[in-house]
Amino acid sequence: MAEEKRPEKKPEGSRSSAVKKLQATAEASAYQKAWFADLKKRVEAGEDFAYLNADVPLEVLRAMDIPFVVNQWWAAICGAKRMTRKYFGLLRDAGYRDDLCSYCATAFAESLDPDDHKIDPETGKELGPWGGLPTPTIAITRLTCDCQSKIFELFAKQHGADFYVIENTVARKAPLNWFELDEDRWEELYDADRLDAAVEELKELIQFLEQKTGKKFEMDKFIEVMKLINEQEGWYKKLRDLIAECHPVPVTVVDTINAVMQAQWQRGTRWAADHAKRLYEEVKALVDKGEAAVPNEKYRLMWLGRGIWADFAFYQRFEQKYGAVFIWTMYLAMGADAYIRNHIEEDPLRALAARYIGMEDFLHMPPWNSQWYIQQAKQNDIDGVVYMVPENCMQAVEGSYFIKTALEDQGYPVLIFKADPVDERKWNAETMGGLVDEFIETRVIPNKDRKGER
Amino acid sequence: MAIRQCALGCAAFAQLKHIYENREEIPAKLRAEGVKVIGKMGCDVPDELIIAGGMLPVQIYADPAKELKETDVYLEYAFDPMVRAQFEKIVDGTYANQIDALAISNSTDVIIRTYLYLRELHRVEPEKKVPEVEFIDWLFTRKPMHQKRNELIINIFWGAVERWAGRQVTGDQVFEASKLCNANKAALRRMQALRCEGRISGCEALVIIGAGFFMEKAKHTELVNAVADAAKEWPVIDAPKVFFTGSNQEDTSLYQKIEDAGLLVVGEDHDWGARVFDRDVNLELSPASGLVDCYMLREFSSKKAFVSQRVDALNREVKASGADGVIFYTNQYEEAASWDYPSQKESLEAAGKKTLGLFKMLWPCDKNEGLAEAFAGLAADMKGGRMNG
Repeated sequence: MAEEKRPEKKPEGSRSSAVKKLQATAEASAYQKAWFADLKKRVEAGEDFAYLNADVPLEVLRAMDIPFVVNQWWAAICGAKRMTRKYFGLLRDAGYRDDLCSYCATAFAESLDPDDHKIDPETGKELGPWGGLPTPTIAITRLTCDCQSKIFELFAKQHGADFYVIENTVARKAPLNWFELDEDRWEELYDADRLDAAVEELKELIQFLEQKTGKKFEMDKFIEVMKLINEQEGWYKKLRDLIAECHPVPVTVVDTINAVMQAQWQRGTRWAADHAKRLYEEVKALVDKGEAAVPNEKYRLMWLGRGIWADFAFYQRFEQKYGAVFIWTMYLAMGADAYIRNHIEEDPLRALAARYIGMEDFLHMPPWNSQWYIQQAKQNDIDGVVYMVPENCMQAVEGSYFIKTALEDQGYPVLIFKADPVDERKWNAETMGGLVDEFIETRVIPNKDRKGER
Repeated sequence: MAIRQCALGCAAFAQLKHIYENREEIPAKLRAEGVKVIGKMGCDVPDELIIAGGMLPVQIYADPAKELKETDVYLEYAFDPMVRAQFEKIVDGTYANQIDALAISNSTDVIIRTYLYLRELHRVEPEKKVPEVEFIDWLFTRKPMHQKRNELIINIFWGAVERWAGRQVTGDQVFEASKLCNANKAALRRMQALRCEGRISGCEALVIIGAGFFMEKAKHTELVNAVADAAKEWPVIDAPKVFFTGSNQEDTSLYQKIEDAGLLVVGEDHDWGARVFDRDVNLELSPASGLVDCYMLREFSSKKAFVSQRVDALNREVKASGADGVIFYTNQYEEAASWDYPSQKESLEAAGKKTLGLFKMLWPCDKNEGLAEAFAGLAADMKGGRMNG
């Protein structure tokens, strides 16, 4: 049946595939595919398999060797494979709205697809993305959004998986410089009772996982995982700093997003730490050779919000015309600034608590997000900020007024536009590109010219 | 049908209706007498503590007629329209003249965001006349750590209440305030029993319940009991009984449309209706434990509960109300309940209940076309079912 096939036609306005230059990006993609194939084998052999939201402390599952997939990464894969139209049709057919929560609902929608694990008899290709998500036995999310826990429960029920939720707490104290405090001074950064509660949560999570899987949580292994993460994120910090100081930049976000995001979900493994090192070294070699991603780089752009997974080429369409280069996204910078936690051995679970409870806040809570963006705009010598506000995600409602005002007060022009990171039905590259064109012409270029005159 | 002459002729109901329609009157009078007034946003702010501090809790509400000049600057479009309108009154200075402080509970995402935005506004635009804000950060999952953490949270809020009151608030005072609030809930339950019999309409019930958000608790209890005494003699409304689930109804306009279509709203799960008197404070527990028990073990709200919890909760509530049909109604951008709906509908219909689902509704409800027809259709369907059944 025609409607069950993967859509062949690219969305209206989409351009050719993004041009990626790094070996590390290709390597990460290849690793993910091999890892995913192995994961499927493990699941088929009867191992427990967990599906996690991105803000779940996956370090615990890594230490316990419980295989897992992260929701946001998988939604990005589904978006990149342009499955959204089909999946959201399935949601509609099942009585659900098809215009909500695209990031979180993608996997649930996929679970309604009877063809997810089938092969197209005509082409011999797998119908589901990467052959479809293996059937999870555990689904874990946090209560960082009213909808998310509901969707995860539906997803778990559809797969017959155990559903587990982790609470979320709101910061009462919010020092402006979280990015200077989080690596070592997290007791200053957070309310103590939030950390206490998060540690208790982690203990409950460990107990649940031990009972469910029969696997034992070993503190030594956990500390090793945490150290590997510090190693990995340390390379991201060096990489972010390197890119920031290069004029022109050696790579753009098209390379860094995929290289970092894919490895980020493998954090806590030797491979991920080594990959981060290779990524840094590859970019450093480009710098040493004097290579530029866009030799005519004139304007350095910052991208706020989630990646446009269905149209990565979008980021590159302003390079030739204006010399405008997207050099910054949260994906690398979060690795650089939000993950490292030193002196782990003193209290390993508290160190993890100090990582995961802030993840939402760093990105979605003013003033932590706005102050970080200012600091990053300065460090990266940014000329303009393009800020994508999702249309249907309350979790990503993060004080866009405060972010825009704070950045503009510091002299950074900001363009806000509404889009959906996953749902290609709502994406029109020509319209969005026109907005960015206009923004560059009327605000970024004149603003930089004015700065140059001063 | 709306509000009937028998109700309007009842002096106690008439008083409640006056207060419901003139929501600033009593708070303003009390403020003039030196009583502090504390605004509440979210449904999980404990009245008991505020009352124990000698202050008047009032619910923040929206003005549908107000232009959203400030809100459009600060809030994204993903905030639901009623909260947007509430935000306008907080930020444009309206509430600065009506309340002394604002307590916000984390009852929904949108309200959590509202707190974060107001806090940030205090920081970056201190010249704005935004009341002092205190946040109550409950845990909702009812896991083992829930009780301990929530007692800590309530004690933090207790401290804020003492700061506002300018004095210590003792456990005995909280105990007495809890007794007062329990008595109020008992009175409202008397009213609800009559409502389920068909002696009180949905519109009348909203007035009776809602007036309590803007007046002293003891007086409200007295008036509700007086209405309940009178309503025993009010004629029974002969109409198919429906349960309303979904968006808060801060006024009677939508219920009026439902009841004008020949239906009777006998219960609801939103925060301006029957959820208010769902559970007492257990007076045998310590004051803090009693408050946690009351506010966190109430029937699940549509926002902070899983689909399975919401399915069971709605089944229980519909059964308790005696409704034969259920109206699902959620405003635009109020999305969470949408995920519950297919499972709830399936479960209710399996039990023989008629359902009507209305989503992405404009606010206020008068902006929507076809509502009267939709409700009339449900009424006809239910009457047909009743005749056949």
